[in-house]
Parts: sequence; structure tokens; C-alpha cells
Amino acid sequence: MSTDIVIKKGLDLPILGAPGTEIRQLKADGTRSVYPGEFAGEKFKCVVKEGDTVPRGGVLANGKRIDGFTVRSPIAGTVKEIRLGERRALAEVVIEPTGKDDAESFPSFSMDGVLKASKEDVLSVLVTSGLLGLIRQRPFSRIADPEATPKSVFVNGMSTAPFRPDAHLLTQDRADDLQTGLNALTRLTDGPVHLNLAASAKEKKDALTEASNVQINYFQGPHPSGNTSTHIHYLDPIVPEDVVWTLRVSDVLRIGELLRTGVYPNRQRILVAGEGVQEEFRGYYDVETGVNLNEVIGPVLCEGDQRIIRGDVLAGDAVKPSETGIYLYDQGFVVLPEDMERNLMGWYAPTIEQYSAHNVVPSSWIKDRLFHFGTNTRGSKRAMVLTGIYDPYTPLDLMVDPLSRACIAGETEDAIAMGILETDPEDFALCTFICPSKTDFGSIISKTLATIEKEGI
Amino acid sequence: MIDFTALKETIQSKHDDVRENFEPGGKFEKFYPLFEAQDTFLLTPPDTTEGMTHVRDAVDLKRVMFTVVVALIPCLLWGIFNAGHQYYHYSGMEAGMFAKILRGTWIVMPIVFVSYLVGGLWEVLFAIVRKHEINEGFLVTGILFPLTLPPTVPLWQVAVGISFGVVVAKEVFGGTGFNILNVALTSRAYLYFAHAKDHSGEVWAASADGATGATPLGMGASYGAEGKNVAEALADSGHTFWSMFGGLEPGSIGETSAIPILLGAAILIVAGVGSWKIMAGGCIGLVAAGLLMNFMPTTGMVEGEMVQLTTWTQVPFFYHFVMGSFLFGIVFMATDPVSAASTDLGKWIYGILIGVVTVLVRVTNPGFAEGVMLAILFMNVMAPIIDYYVVQAHIKNRNANLRKFSYAKG
Repeated sequence: MSTDIVIKKGLDLPILGAPGTEIRQLKADGTRSVYPGEFAGEKFKCVVKEGDTVPRGGVLANGKRIDGFTVRSPIAGTVKEIRLGERRALAEVVIEPTGKDDAESFPSFSMDGVLKASKEDVLSVLVTSGLLGLIRQRPFSRIADPEATPKSVFVNGMSTAPFRPDAHLLTQDRADDLQTGLNALTRLTDGPVHLNLAASAKEKKDALTEASNVQINYFQGPHPSGNTSTHIHYLDPIVPEDVVWTLRVSDVLRIGELLRTGVYPNRQRILVAGEGVQEEFRGYYDVETGVNLNEVIGPVLCEGDQRIIRGDVLAGDAVKPSETGIYLYDQGFVVLPEDMERNLMGWYAPTIEQYSAHNVVPSSWIKDRLFHFGTNTRGSKRAMVLTGIYDPYTPLDLMVDPLSRACIAGETEDAIAMGILETDPEDFALCTFICPSKTDFGSIISKTLATIEKEGI
Repeated sequence: MIDFTALKETIQSKHDDVRENFEPGGKFEKFYPLFEAQDTFLLTPPDTTEGMTHVRDAVDLKRVMFTVVVALIPCLLWGIFNAGHQYYHYSGMEAGMFAKILRGTWIVMPIVFVSYLVGGLWEVLFAIVRKHEINEGFLVTGILFPLTLPPTVPLWQVAVGISFGVVVAKEVFGGTGFNILNVALTSRAYLYFAHAKDHSGEVWAASADGATGATPLGMGASYGAEGKNVAEALADSGHTFWSMFGGLEPGSIGETSAIPILLGAAILIVAGVGSWKIMAGGCIGLVAAGLLMNFMPTTGMVEGEMVQLTTWTQVPFFYHFVMGSFLFGIVFMATDPVSAASTDLGKWIYGILIGVVTVLVRVTNPGFAEGVMLAILFMNVMAPIIDYYVVQAHIKNRNANLRKFSYAKG
């Protein structure tokens, strides 16, 4: 039984630099870095010291907020360095691999056996292994609270933002991991587990379209039809007090692998795309968690100054020079040329080389063409002037103008009434993109969500 | 051929040479807004994106604002020609096309120049004091305001009017994006009330001998008061629907002819810069109110006696489109996004009410010849209230939908 949902609002960015479908294997032998900071909202106490030996899956740090939550080492080795960040928070643990193969073992389940496991059994493995960090809880997109009971679980198997990895390539040859993971998720909720796929994949016969024990939904339409918020809004919208858990297919695979094998998974498939990467090297890489990104991307970058983005171009973080290891949560990187080029009278030149969604720029009249994008703001920051231009880019039942104004004014109650709890900052990326005043909606929304989370609904 | 690349490099290196003088700690740091304005006018900024979204659309506010200026150019050109034409007409002289354009330029361009100069000075002054960028919005205000003025306006009034608008209507409220009233229209309203005798609708009376030079709108109101059939009386004075549509008539500079205004409207709508919802709403409101007025009685009982009431109510509703400056107002003034309603439904309501109030002010209040200015200013003030109720309705609907969803799931 599947549901089909067609989305009209939104925009597919016509951006150059799309990846191929080739999957390459990379064997790295350098140090591995673990960043507890990637689990935002949780604080950690380090339990190892420099020089200690840890097995693969050995505990490096314990969570202070969630009881039993840990950060684990992706490889057997010795602790080479422990780096503290702001306010002496644990920022990075560097592991030097010893080449040994000792690994901590976790309870394992068969693919069907996990269906008979209790919620507590499954949760305890996820919490103690630290893979709970891959499950996000709405509202606020924070780490799932093991005490909460989600009314439903959403698995995102779509990629409408440029460039998120194609879930069908991530799951290639990993049907067992996927099904085990999905089976485990059904234990975590009394409601349904929604697996959301692109309508274009409907005819495919693969692990995703033939997954069982879950409700498969097909979404059609431009970005953000592939955003989790869109899926939730159309299938099981969040009203205050509701809790929903969300994952991506890559997270389900990792959870499935852990439960099936009982060994801490340390390989992940990542996508490398974007115009800053040489064309023949844009594609998928199987890498080990924690390896230095420069080993993967460094050799294949194009000439010039490039920005490496964790995530996608619409919603991602520029990689900090101090954090070049691959996160547990990473599933892709996009590289864009840093663009500080200044154009003569560019603000009124009849631009056809730079894409615009607005009729006022001639390039918007050119259809079916891909454009170069750099990191330039392509205009100066100004007060918000035009109104009503954002709503065509959000399929959620939102009024972006009054909502963002309420956020700027700090009116959190109004923002809640207008539906901010249904959203994630990434849902406003297109609004940021098309804004002539160059407003950053993502930061406006995320600040307000943080305030609401702190003050309580 | 000009070598644009070389030109760009030259400008860029010259700017980079002096940039440090304008940056904090530099000799002229106070004048950074001026430097920024010129720098980003000539060259797009070198800024790169911050935050989670790493790419941006090629549109920017300069382009949006300048598109409105472009949309106003047909009105300006027509205004120049018409000013020259009216000048010679009321002076009783024969003149050729070229002479009219030259004379019109001589009349109109100083007004535009004073508006840009004086308004621009205020804009720069506030930018320097407040340490913010010079806003492109003034490009629009600076041309919009002169087009609403009669060609015979004294230049000192232009200066006073634009000063009042920029300072009181905009900067006092916090600058571009925060004003409640449309800036150009506030300037216009200020002159209308503070210097009423120069803005009574008797445009050319001051400059030309003999002829009164009244605008059709002014005449219509007086014919109505006299109980005449307004349309016929207007036709007798040489004003038919089509003559007013064509706009070779006395009136304010930019608003006499419907043709350049409709052209401007087309530019705004195609470019997606002006809200067609407000424009359409305004037309609907005007037609509805105009038709309703046609059903008003022309006689009434006053203290037991049958008296003649104004026949101004009986003017064919479509005359309202071409009389006075309704079209200019609804296309260029009402669509100012900062002072208009911001929600979709709000824009419809806002537009419709502007149309309705325009007719009401025109017809029922013989003291004010032009209703559209007051209608728009009044609705500027009402816009936040309209938006408030639209948003409340949205929230109510939203919640109903979400709950329905939850219940349906049981």
C-alpha cells in the first residue's frame, strides 16, 4: 500500500556539477577523527586519555544528558590526541589505527528476529552504541529523546536538494542492512514507519521500493518535495506536543548493519559533487568514518579557491579547517568555487550567465539549461522589501513573510501559531536563495527554534 | 568598442586603492555609505555567502528598484511632451512637436532634478549618521514624486515636499522597509494640504493667461454640483473618455495618459516587481463603487423640500479609471511593497478598498478633487490591520486542518 503525493510549489536548482553514479572504494590508513560536537545539544565527558588503546566500537566519551549515550571509536587504535574546544567542551578525539582487528561486540539480531525484539532492547543498543545520534526528533531536529514515544517515524529516501546522494545508490547491495534497520524502527513507535521515495523511482525494483513492514510513500515535484518536513506535513503533521523521529536512508543502513552484525559499523558511502570537483571524480565513495576529508577530496579538487560543504548547497555547513574528518552523520559533500569576482554594473546588466528564478533577470527566461554557481552573494544585503515572493517556494502551509517577521521580532508564540514547529531551517533555504534583499532565513528560523526549545513550548 | 574588462579592472583597482580611507579607522570612515553606494553601483559586491545556504539568485534589490524606475520612464516621457503641449496650448501659441518636447523638458527636468538632489541629500545624510547603506528605494521615490506634481509647481515646493516625505514618512520610522506610508505619496499629500492653492486641480491657471486649465476631475465635481449631466458637460468642454484615456490634458506630470501607465503596469507585472493582485483589486473596487454610485438618487428631501443633489454620482463608472490619477496611483503607488499589505489575500482586500475609497472620496466629498491619494494613504495605515486579520485567519485554518488530520488518524 503506497501513497502518492504531488507537490507543486518549490524549485529545482539548475546547477552544474551533478555527480555520476560510479561507486569507488577508498582505503585510508591515516588517523581517524571523532567529533562529539556533531551530536548537537548533547554534552560529553571524555573517558579516555592520550595513549589509551581502544577497540573498534570502544567508548571514547559518555553523554551527560542522555543516560548511557556514548561516542565510539570507529577503529581499533590508540588515542593520539584529545582536543578541547570552546568552554573546554570535548571537540575532537584523534585515533591512530594500530592495524589490529579487535572490536567491541554489541547484541545482534537477525533480520526478522529484530521484529520480535522489544522497544527497550532495540533502544538500548542504539543508545549505548551512540547510533541514537543518527535519529533526529521533531520539533527542533535534535537527537531523539529515548524517553519519548514518537507518533511516527519518517525515513527520507529522496534527494531533491543539490546534491544529496541518491538513496537507491546508497542501498545498492545492502538490502539486508536496510530491512533490518527498518524492522528495528518499527519497534520504536506505535505508529507507522514512513519510507518516502521519489515518484520517479516507482518503477525501480530494489531494496527501497520493495521494503516491507513500512508504509512507502512516493513524492513528486520540485525541491523541497524531498525534505523531511514536507513529508511530515503531508503525511502526519506535527501539532504542539507531538513528537516525530526522522532518519535518512544512510542512517537506517548503519543502524541495520550494527544490529545485524553486532559490530560497530565504520564504513559509509559518501557523495562528492559540485563544480569544484573534477568532473570524472564526481561520484560516490566508500570511505571509513573519521578519515581526513583531504584524503578523499583533496586530490580531485579543481584549481582555485574552493568551498567544501558538508551536506548540500542549499542546506549545509562549510567544512571548518579544524574539522576535516568525516562525521558519522555525513553522507555527502559539495564543493563550490569561492566566487569573489566583481562584475561591472552587474546589478542591471542583462545577466544570462547567472541563474535567477525572478522574471526581472533575463536568465530566468532561459529554460532547460544548467548554470554555474559560485559562493558569491550576487548583490548586497538590504532590508526586506518585497512581500509574498517566498510562499511559492514552500509547500508547507506557511506564510513566510509574517512568520519570519515574528521570528525577527522575537514573538515566539506567534511563530509557533504560524507553524514554525513543523519546520527545520533547511525548509527556508529556497527563500534565502531567491531573496533579493539577501536575507538569511535559515539563521532567523534556527535562532527562533533554539529559543523556543530553551524556553519550552 | 569599449574594453569593459579593462574598465572594470581600472575601477576595481582605483576603488581598492582608496577603500581603506573609508573603512573603520580611515580618514573618511564617516562617508563609508557614499563609498559603498558608488562601489556597489559600479561593481557587484565581492561578498560571499554565509550560513547554511551557499548559493544565491542573481537578483538583487538594486535591480528590482531600478525596474520600477524603468517602468516609470514612459510616464516621464509622456509627461514631458504633455507639459510642453499644455504650455503652448494655454499660452495660445502654435508650436511644433520638437518645440513642445524642448519646452516640456525645460519644465519637467528641473522638478525631477530638485527631487533627486534634495531627497538624495537627506538619504545620504541619514545613511551617514545611522551608518547604514544608502538604499536604492530612493531611486524610485525620487522619480515617483515629481510625476505626481503639476508641471507648474514651484521648485521650492518640490524641495520642501520631498524633504517632508523622506524625513517624516521614512527616516523617522527607521528608514527603508520600516515606513508605514508611501514616501512619494506622503510628500505629495503634504504639498496638497500645506500649499493647497497651488494644488487645487487648476493646473495651468497660474502660468497661462485667460484659460483656467482645470483638470477634468476638477470640472466633473463642479458640473456635478451644478446638477448637470457630468459626462455630457465634460464632452462639451472637450473631455471624452478617450481624450482622457489618451491624456493630452491638463494634470499632474506623469498621470494624465493611461497609455504609458498601462505600459508601466505591464513592465511591473511581467517582471514580477509590482503586485498584480493589488492592481486588479483596485480596479474591481473602483468598478464596484462606481456602479453603486450610479444607483444613488440625484434628488433628496431636505427639510421637507425636494432638492437637487450632485449628479457627480452619475458619471459612468469607467470614467473613474481615466479621470485624475487613479491608474497611476494603483499601478505605482499602491504596489509599493513596504507600505502595502504583505499577505496574498491582504493584497486583494487592500487593492479593492483603495478602489472603493477612491470613488467615495471623489464623489461624496467635493472638497477633495483627488480621492486616490487619500485612499492609498488611508489604506497604507490600514494595511497592517488587514494583514493581522489575514494571518489570524490563516492560523485558525491551519490549526483546523492539522487537528482534522490528527482526529482522522484516530
